Amino acid sequence: MKVNQLFLGLLVASLGFVRLSIAQTPLDGLMMPKGEICLAIVYENTTWDRYWEGSTIRVNQNIGTFTRQMGMPMLVGGITDKINVILTLPYVKTEASAGQLTGVQGIQDLGLSVKALFLEKSIGKGKLTGFSNLSFSTPASNYLSDYMPFSLGFGANELGIRAIGKYELDKGPYLRASYSYLHRGVTEAERDFYYAGQDAYYTSKMDVPNAFLGQVTLGSWMFKKKLRVEASLTTIKSTSGDDIRVYSMPQPTNKVDFDRVEGFAQYYFNSNGRGFGLIASYQKAISGRNMGQFSGYGLGITYQFKAF
Amino acid sequence: MKKYNYTFLLLVIFAFLGSSCVEDLPTKYEFTGYQFSNLDANAGQWKLVLHTSNEQIPLSTPAASGSPELLKELADAKEMQSKATSAQREAVAYWTNNPLVRWNEIALELATKYNLIPAPNPDGSYPVPDPANPSNYPKFPYSHPPYTSRMLAHLSVAQYDGLIMAWHYKYKFKRQAPYQLDPQIKSAYQTNGLFSYPSDGAVIAKASQDVLTAMFPLEKEFLAQKAQEHLESLVVAGINVSSDVEAGKLIGAAVAKTALTRASTDGMKNAQTTRAKSDSIKNAAKDRFGWVWENQETPQRMVGLVPLFGKVRLWNVPNVESVRPGPPPAPGSPAFEESAKALKQYAANLTTNQRRIANFWNDGLSTYTPPGHWNRFAKEEVVANKLNPVRTARVFAYLNMAIADAGIACWDAKYYYHYPRPIQTIPGFKTILGTPNFPAYTSGHAAFSGAAAEVMAHFFPSNASQFRTWAEEAAMSRIYGGIHYQFDADAGLDQGRKSAAYSVAKAKQDGVD
Repeated sequence: MKVNQLFLGLLVASLGFVRLSIAQTPLDGLMMPKGEICLAIVYENTTWDRYWEGSTIRVNQNIGTFTRQMGMPMLVGGITDKINVILTLPYVKTEASAGQLTGVQGIQDLGLSVKALFLEKSIGKGKLTGFSNLSFSTPASNYLSDYMPFSLGFGANELGIRAIGKYELDKGPYLRASYSYLHRGVTEAERDFYYAGQDAYYTSKMDVPNAFLGQVTLGSWMFKKKLRVEASLTTIKSTSGDDIRVYSMPQPTNKVDFDRVEGFAQYYFNSNGRGFGLIASYQKAISGRNMGQFSGYGLGITYQFKAF
Repeated sequence: MKKYNYTFLLLVIFAFLGSSCVEDLPTKYEFTGYQFSNLDANAGQWKLVLHTSNEQIPLSTPAASGSPELLKELADAKEMQSKATSAQREAVAYWTNNPLVRWNEIALELATKYNLIPAPNPDGSYPVPDPANPSNYPKFPYSHPPYTSRMLAHLSVAQYDGLIMAWHYKYKFKRQAPYQLDPQIKSAYQTNGLFSYPSDGAVIAKASQDVLTAMFPLEKEFLAQKAQEHLESLVVAGINVSSDVEAGKLIGAAVAKTALTRASTDGMKNAQTTRAKSDSIKNAAKDRFGWVWENQETPQRMVGLVPLFGKVRLWNVPNVESVRPGPPPAPGSPAFEESAKALKQYAANLTTNQRRIANFWNDGLSTYTPPGHWNRFAKEEVVANKLNPVRTARVFAYLNMAIADAGIACWDAKYYYHYPRPIQTIPGFKTILGTPNFPAYTSGHAAFSGAAAEVMAHFFPSNASQFRTWAEEAAMSRIYGGIHYQFDADAGLDQGRKSAAYSVAKAKQDGVD
C-alpha cells in the first residue's frame, strides 16, 4: 500500500453529525508510512428541518432549517510504518432559519487518535488487514453543551477504542468493517438542576451516554489508484440516556441513535500520493432518535509530504 | 513488542478515565436526620394561616403510658423495628426527622415533570390541558411558574397549620416517644424528647399526599406509595407508635381539605382564558397605552399563559393595585431606546459570567421554575440551621405565600400593561433563552425572586445580603438572556419586595419571635 494518505478521506467521510466529534472515527483501513505527514482542511455542511423527538419525527417551525457548518484543520502523521497519529481541531457554526434563538460558533473539541496496524496477510487474490485505534477528544473551548441543538458539541471527554478489518482485492475493490466503543465522561451545564429520564438531578454535571458505532464500507480504487470511491452504512447506538421531552429542548443526557448512509470520493493529483488531493462526500441520516434528520456534504483539500 | 506498548498505553488511559468518569449524580438533597436547634415548645400557640383554632380538628386523648393499648402498640413497634427490611431502613434514612424537606422536594420534582408547554395541533391551534381529563394530551397540569407558585403555597400552608396543631396536642398530651417508653426501642434519629402524639411526620405525609394528589391528579398512586412508605418509616424509626400516626393522619387530611377548599375557589380555574376574553384584555391595553404584546412563535399562540392569574385570590397582599407599578416607557421613547440598546450590546458582547447567570436562573420548561428554585434555597437553609419541623413549615409557608402573591401581582401587571417582549420590538433580535408566552412588564423572575429574598432575609438575617444579591442576579439574568428590558427587571424586583412586605409583616406578628 503506497498511497497511504488516502485514509484521510474516509476519516472525513465518516465524520458524524452534531454529537460526534471528529477524531472519534478514524475508521479506515489505511496507514501512512513513517515520516509522511498529511495536512488537510475539511469543510462540512449539514442541514435538517425535521428531528426525532425520541423516535417520533417532529417539525418545529420555530427552528425552520437548522444548519451546521464545520471547518476542520487536520494533521496525520506516520510515526512508524505501523503507527499513525491524527490530530483534529474543528471550528463549528450553527444556526436556525426561523425562531428567535441565536446560533453559536467556535472551536469545538481537540482530537488525538493513534492507529496501529496489527495484521497484514495475503489471502487468495487479495489482502486482509486489521487495525486497532485509540482516540481521545476533549473540549477545546468553553462552549456550552447544554444549549442543544445549537451547541458545538456534547462538551465531554471521549475515549474511543476500535477494531477495523479490511479485505482488499488486488484489482481494487475492498470491503471494510469496523466496530467502536465510545466512552464519554460528564459535561458541565450552567444550571445545577435538570430533569432526565424519570429523575430530577441536583447537579450541574450531566452524564453523556456512551455509544457503540458500527460501520460497513464497500469501496474501490480506480484510475491507477488516483481515485477512490466508497459507500458506507454507519450505525450509532447510545448505551443509555433519555428521550427529548415533548416539544422541549434536547440536552446532552439524551439517548442519541442513528443510521446513516454516505458516499465518498477522493482524488489524488499524483499517483505517488504526495502533493495535493481533493475530497468530496455526501451523507444522509435514514433513521434516528433524539437528533436531526440531517443530510449534507463535505469538501476537503489535502497536502502530503515527507517530513522525516 | 509494539503491540505490547500499545496495550500498555490503553491500560493507562483507561485507568485515568475510569477514575474521572464513574460517579453517581445526586437525585435528591443529600442530608440525614439531625438534632434540632430547639423544639419550640410553644409552637402550638403560633398564629394559624387558614384555621382559627389549634383544636379545630379534635383529637381524642391518647392511651396512657402503661395502658394495655399502648403496651400493645409498643410491642408492635418493637417487632416492626426488629424485622425491618433493608428497604424500610433505607426509607427511615431517606425521610429523616424533618420529612417536610422531602415532600417539598417531591413537589418540586412533580412541578418539573409537568412543566411542559403544549405543542401545536396539526392545524396550527394549540391544545389546553383539561383538569377533567388529566391524562389526555396535554396532560394536566401544565406546571408553569404561576401554577407551581400556587401549588407550593397551598402545600406549605397546609403543612404549617397542621404542624402548629400537632405541636399544640403534643404539649397538651405530653405522650413520650416509643424510644423513651421502651428501652428496647431505639430511635433512628438523634433523640430530642419531642412528644410523639400526634406524629408530626404523619401530619406532613398525609397533608402533602392529599394536596399534591389534587394538584397532580395523575400522580395519585405514586404519592400514595410515597406516603405509605413515609408513614411506615415513622414506626420503624422508633419515634412513633401507630396511634401517633393515625392521629397525625387525621390532622393532615383535615388541613389538606381546608387548603384544597381554598384552592378550589381561588379563581385559578378561570386563569387560562378563551381567545375572546384574551382579545378583550389585549384590546383594553391597546386602548389604554397604544401598544400590545403578541406571541412571536410559529404557529402563533393566540392566548398567552394564564391571562387572568392576576385575578387569583391573594394570600397577604390586600389587592393587586396596591403593588402595581406605574407604566413602562412607551416603545420608541428615549427610555425604551436606551434599554433596547443595552440589550443589543449584551447580546453582542455577552461575557462568560453573564451567560452563566442567564442559564443558572433560566428555570424554564422542564424545571422547577423560579418559585421552585427559591424553595430549594430554603430547603438548604433549613437544614443548615437545623430547624425543627414546625419552624421549617413556617419558613416554607411564608415564603410560598409571598412568592404566590408576587406572582399574582406580577401577572396583573403583565396583562394590564400587555407590554411587548424584546423579540417583538427589536427587529431581527436573537436571544440565548426562549421567550415565554406572556407579556414582558413586569419580570416574573424579578417579582418571584424579589419576594422570596425578602422572606428569606427575614427568617435568616445573617444571610440577608446573599439572598438579595441572588434576587438581583435572577432579575438581571433575563436581561442577559435577551428576554426582558431593564425596566421589567427593576419594576419586578420592586413589586416582589412590596408584595413580600405583607407576608413578612404577618410573620412578625405570628407569636414566634
